[in-house]
Amino acid sequence: MECMSLLGFSACAPDPELRASLPFPVFDINRDSIPPMLRRRTSQATQMAFSVASAVCVETRRSAAALPAVFASVAGEIQTTDRLCTELVKPEGVISPSAFHNSVQNTAAGYWSIAQQCTQPSSSLAAGCDTFAMALLEAWCQLSCHGGELLLVCYDERWPTYLDTARGERAFACALVLAAEAVDDAIAHIARPHFGAEAFSTLFESLAARMPVLAAIPLLGLTSAGGAAQNIPVSPVVPGWQVRISPLNTIPVPL
Amino acid sequence: MPFAHPKADPIMTMQSHISPVAVTAYQCVSVAGDDVESLYLSLIANRSCLKPLRLFDIPFETLVGEVTSPLPDIRPGLKAYDSRNARLALKALNQGDFRSTVERAMASHGVGRIGLVLGTSTSGIYDSENAYAHFQSKGVMPTDFQFLKIQTAQATAEFLHLELGLQGPCYSISTACSSSAKALGAAQRLIAADFCDAVLVAGVDSLCRLTLCGFNSLQLVSPEACRPMDAKRRGINIGEGAALLLLERLNSENAARPRLLAVGESSDAHHMSAPHPDGAGAVLAMTLALHLAGRDVSQVDYINLHATASILNDLADAKAVNHLFPNPPPCSGVKGLLGHTLGASGAVEAVVSLLSLERGFVPGTCGFEQSDPQCPCPVTATPLLDQRPRLVLSNAFGFGGNNASVLLEAC
Repeated sequence: MECMSLLGFSACAPDPELRASLPFPVFDINRDSIPPMLRRRTSQATQMAFSVASAVCVETRRSAAALPAVFASVAGEIQTTDRLCTELVKPEGVISPSAFHNSVQNTAAGYWSIAQQCTQPSSSLAAGCDTFAMALLEAWCQLSCHGGELLLVCYDERWPTYLDTARGERAFACALVLAAEAVDDAIAHIARPHFGAEAFSTLFESLAARMPVLAAIPLLGLTSAGGAAQNIPVSPVVPGWQVRISPLNTIPVPL
Repeated sequence: MPFAHPKADPIMTMQSHISPVAVTAYQCVSVAGDDVESLYLSLIANRSCLKPLRLFDIPFETLVGEVTSPLPDIRPGLKAYDSRNARLALKALNQGDFRSTVERAMASHGVGRIGLVLGTSTSGIYDSENAYAHFQSKGVMPTDFQFLKIQTAQATAEFLHLELGLQGPCYSISTACSSSAKALGAAQRLIAADFCDAVLVAGVDSLCRLTLCGFNSLQLVSPEACRPMDAKRRGINIGEGAALLLLERLNSENAARPRLLAVGESSDAHHMSAPHPDGAGAVLAMTLALHLAGRDVSQVDYINLHATASILNDLADAKAVNHLFPNPPPCSGVKGLLGHTLGASGAVEAVVSLLSLERGFVPGTCGFEQSDPQCPCPVTATPLLDQRPRLVLSNAFGFGGNNASVLLEAC
């Protein structure tokens, strides 16, 4: 496979200040994207994942039921897990069965497959600071081996501050629809992930260091702004995982 | 048709086959013992290893597959990663010649060409629970508690990566009980897409209050040794363990090793904690594994069932096999011996399947006595020592309706 085609993306951040600071369109959680049955039962993480996944399927006019999915998150359902752990150390702590099955990392992926009646494979991965990068790598491998298209959803809700004082404050989610090879309706081509030393944008470096899924900022920003092809980091760790992005949605500026 | 999904057919959209990879080493620490030899002896003896829990107190009765032999210390430079999960992984790494086989692969392929994919559902949450107890009494987390290096799903993957000095891609898959079966699939793709020449696959899960009490809240925990596929089953037993498999690109040196042919993956799209009642997702996962490998149902010699001994899981499992196989091969499940090792079970049972291929036998189903008329598949109660399976399917199904079926073949 020569490249992946990015067919569209969407992004979500509940914090208006974060939304305003990002160089591409970002929405708040869209409760209409979550089936009414699930609205009260699901976490911020799952609601953000649904918001971006629904939006990108609409934007790219893809049927969610037809897309294999790669969900990626550093901490998964950390708020639910935190509540369970707090209960577990109480002498009379009560564990709710639904809270338990909603604490697995693939909660968002599971509810998404049920809501969309999607029987395609769905994965949930975590890779610390490299979570967005490894999600792109997993997407590359799936498309390279099996062809077709897939949905990538990368998200993290707020983490309880006492778990990690340095990270986890700004909840963020993004979703991408990716296709194998160069296809007609691509908005960008993404070349094979590789190790590189291109610096992370100084504007967003500290944001991404504090919330690793914000490592998606340079990729989404460049795709949105357009311009010349560039190597950009997809992890806050530099040197580290990078990709070459060729935006296609604007007319290239003549030299 | 007993079931039909109206939407896209994953088999029709799945283009090609995938190249097999060699399994050049494998190890397993479980309640059956510290290495594959003790696991093999336990499979042949077919006597339950499940015992009352010693690690912590729980307010209900059950048996567990607890590793009670001493776990190794994490070396000083990596202490931040010290968790029961990491220790189980380190123990497996140090068994037999596993570590030296990985080091041989590092020397021949280069550390940047070896990846690591770990499947886990618990990660280091057992140690987090202890930290929460500290938090409750002292109002602060212990000073040495590092969330990313203990609790999050990639913690033990990162530990193994640093312990070995690997520099290839490193990530965890956490899809509940299918986690490490899916890790095998991701690893095979990393080799096929030429990011790696070898990938260390790990399935590691440790006992913790969260999973014991969580499954108990779902009323799925058996007070006695579990009885997979048996008419008198009373639920599941939780286990723990670490299974490691080294996958390598096929070459002349590993031509005699068993092979991972494919991993079929699917979603039930039915319920968060109950399988599709007809096993539709399980059928799809097994079908995809065979399709990707270019093999036929008639060629499968043994099916390692997921067989947790929860009634809904057992029924879905059996119905799926019955639907797909006109003449099913011997089927069995090992959770009556080892307990359900959750996120590790896919890798643990891939190791069981490899022992079956390499040592020539079909494992039994410890705890199975009386067949359930609702379970229409042939269940092997005691080990079949006269069988020489060459093609084995090993199933792992998890919460969220997440399914993976691993297809392994003798060389």
